[in-house]
Amino acid sequence: MARVGVFVCFCGANIADYVDVPQVVEEVKRIKEVKYAVEYKYMCSDPGQGMIRDAIVQHKLTSIVVAACSPRMHEKTFRKALSDAGMNPYLLEVANIREHSSWVHQKDKKAATDKAMDLCRMAVAKSIANEQLHEISVPVTKRALVIGGGIAGIQAALDIADARIPVVLVEKSPSIGGKMAQLDETFPTLDCSQCILTPKMVDVASHPYIELIPYAEVLELQGFVGNYKVKIKKKASYVNFKTCTGCGACWQKCPVKVPNEYNLGLDKRKAIYTPFPQAVPNKPVIDAEHCTMLTKGKCGICAKVCLPGAIDYQMQDEIIEREIGAVVVATGYDMWDPKPYEEYGVGRFKDIITSLEFERMVSANGPTNGVPVRPSDGKVPKNVVFIKCVGSRDEAKGIEYCSKICCMYTTKHTILLHHKVHDSHAYVFYMDIRAAGKGYEEFVKKAQVDTAATYLRGRVSKIYKKGDKLMVRGEDAQIGQVVEVEADLVVLATAVSAPKDNPELARLLGISYDKYGYMSEAHPKLRPVETAKAGIFLAGCTQAPKDIPETVSQASACAAKVCGLFAGDTMKKDPMVSTINNEYCSGCQNCVNVCPYGAIVTDEVPVGHGSKDLRTVAKINEGVCQGCGSCVAICRSMAINLAGFTDPQIINEIVSI
Amino acid sequence: MITLGSQGKNTFLEAVNLKSGANVLECYQCGKCVSTCPVSQYMDFPPREIMQMIKLGLKEECYMANSHWFCLTCSACSGRCPREIDIPAVMEAVRHLAIEENHINDSKKVKEIRKFHEIFLDMIKRYGRNYELRMMAEFNIRTRNLFKDMHLAPKALLKGKIPLGVKPLKSAKAIKRMYEVAERLEKKK
Repeated sequence: MARVGVFVCFCGANIADYVDVPQVVEEVKRIKEVKYAVEYKYMCSDPGQGMIRDAIVQHKLTSIVVAACSPRMHEKTFRKALSDAGMNPYLLEVANIREHSSWVHQKDKKAATDKAMDLCRMAVAKSIANEQLHEISVPVTKRALVIGGGIAGIQAALDIADARIPVVLVEKSPSIGGKMAQLDETFPTLDCSQCILTPKMVDVASHPYIELIPYAEVLELQGFVGNYKVKIKKKASYVNFKTCTGCGACWQKCPVKVPNEYNLGLDKRKAIYTPFPQAVPNKPVIDAEHCTMLTKGKCGICAKVCLPGAIDYQMQDEIIEREIGAVVVATGYDMWDPKPYEEYGVGRFKDIITSLEFERMVSANGPTNGVPVRPSDGKVPKNVVFIKCVGSRDEAKGIEYCSKICCMYTTKHTILLHHKVHDSHAYVFYMDIRAAGKGYEEFVKKAQVDTAATYLRGRVSKIYKKGDKLMVRGEDAQIGQVVEVEADLVVLATAVSAPKDNPELARLLGISYDKYGYMSEAHPKLRPVETAKAGIFLAGCTQAPKDIPETVSQASACAAKVCGLFAGDTMKKDPMVSTINNEYCSGCQNCVNVCPYGAIVTDEVPVGHGSKDLRTVAKINEGVCQGCGSCVAICRSMAINLAGFTDPQIINEIVSI
Repeated sequence: MITLGSQGKNTFLEAVNLKSGANVLECYQCGKCVSTCPVSQYMDFPPREIMQMIKLGLKEECYMANSHWFCLTCSACSGRCPREIDIPAVMEAVRHLAIEENHINDSKKVKEIRKFHEIFLDMIKRYGRNYELRMMAEFNIRTRNLFKDMHLAPKALLKGKIPLGVKPLKSAKAIKRMYEVAERLEKKK
């Protein structure tokens, strides 16, 4: 017969103030299977755990109930105490009398005590049917996939590769570098973005443990943690990277000009191009949409001038397959399109630009060689108005959230403007100045005091044209008056938005994303790097807007997680997974459809013993199953049981109250 | 409505900064000065707003305000200012510039305050120190309000707060010479 030990915790005053703990102990002692019951101030402390260990030996207990806080908090702690006493750790049940009783029923001590007693009775009843379970071992493929070659992907790839773990880095565009490669200088230190980024890009290309696959997309991910298979589509570049020397003869001679994405269309590039001179890999690709040879079969100049003969117009997309153990998603962000701001004249007035366009203009390798100019007449602007929160914190036209980086990059822009045009004046319309970060507030002070940028607190209501100037109207709430600024150039600090491909990628990876399209983390505070799917991690703005230091930190955290995952040859996993009784399974496949993790596949088994005819049944992949129980609930023939939550356990619980 | 950006350089800000030795740009508009100031509730623009007006170069509006005249230069604001701006010095600078350019708020209150300043300076010039009784009498006569605060007089007299006579300082002559030099310099401008 079962011998249950019950340990009721005061949790200091957290439980004891609202639940009559001694009464709970007296009540559980009346259950005949309970051979030992005791209360203690802090069960999770070392003496508390000692009480459990001693009682197991002394009273020959066969299962343990701890009535304390949420199992999310201390289940692992108590399981370990059981192991230490030589007992199977899964013979533990936790009755959550803190979150589920004392904290939520603070006004009624009797009701709280009654509920705590119910919870204890249920846990005792369940524990009687508990079975010994054993951790599952899953083999691991020690190779990581990093999706996205911005600073997040670069940092994650380098850190993982430095631990001598092979990395496959997939980048959508022809070069790695991402948004950071488009920046001029970075806040709050004003160090040149290219100078700190390009060495890392070169490191990626030359690292023996990194396989860089540029101009490619992830098509499919199958398998489970430690054992994924990924299909990658490598887009046809029409240039053989092995023979190409990157000499540049092809793009010099190419007659087709198209807007240059790297400079946001502020200048033109050729149909065969490298995105920017410092690109990695520094090999050109042909833009199939615009190349006249590929669209109309006319031209072919690049092939003629290419001495190594690297141009191949017949090249096809290629599918690459790799076996990997973990994935780092680092797809970055998009700049929000300010088109809905009609009152600002976006689209109508040429001299309204976005912050990233301004960034390209003031960048030394930008289309204007580092001098900001008015797009309308090419003149250097004197009065520049910066408008913050364009799209951010705007439920009507944009997005609810704060984009986090605009305050700081606008501060940087006012300083860069002052550096590039000495007699210019910056006006900044803002709602708040959010400068939480190392050296950030000091940086804002530098802009306001040293470069005398005028900060006006208010949202701009409208912009209209007066001669060749733009009149920007808003309130200065500091003096409670409407002000109009005569501007030569207006720069919109547009919001950070989730990459538009994120939902599609999330679906194919099997991870979740939020209402804005950002990838969701497993826990907002305690698991900000992991996704709900084991072995898939998040780095950078793909999760939420972030600045560079935060992105790099998260990328390195991803690397630590991947290295931790790959530390042994096998991985340990909780045994709380579903099992299927083939004799009951009718093969309806409802469970296959409801499983959120893709852990259930179909299998064929003989219809009867020794029979050659086959019938379809469901099959659980233990490595993928997260023990959510959806399949158990949907199964109409009750063929599925979840270890740790079997039917007898649940029925015992229900009967006990 | 205020139009910015067309007037070029903010010369007003530069003049205030030069005269006060403070940097108004340091102000980040927290408003601690306003809640500290014992007279801010009587000002038409509290100190924080004056600072912002200087930043925006709103010279006329700033001159015509009564705030810098109401300022007691008690320095409570600058003592608590997180950016350590010498706000009384800024107020003083605005006062000076307003007088220099003859843009002065012409309300009754400001007129009285200016008379008070003049009489006080006159007392110092004469005696090298303040002569309270004469100062009060002169102020009441010149503002044509003879019985102003008269009810306080008996109590103050009894407590010896208002001496009946005045003993000029030994250095009164030297102080008088300082006045003369200052007046001569002022004329030279």
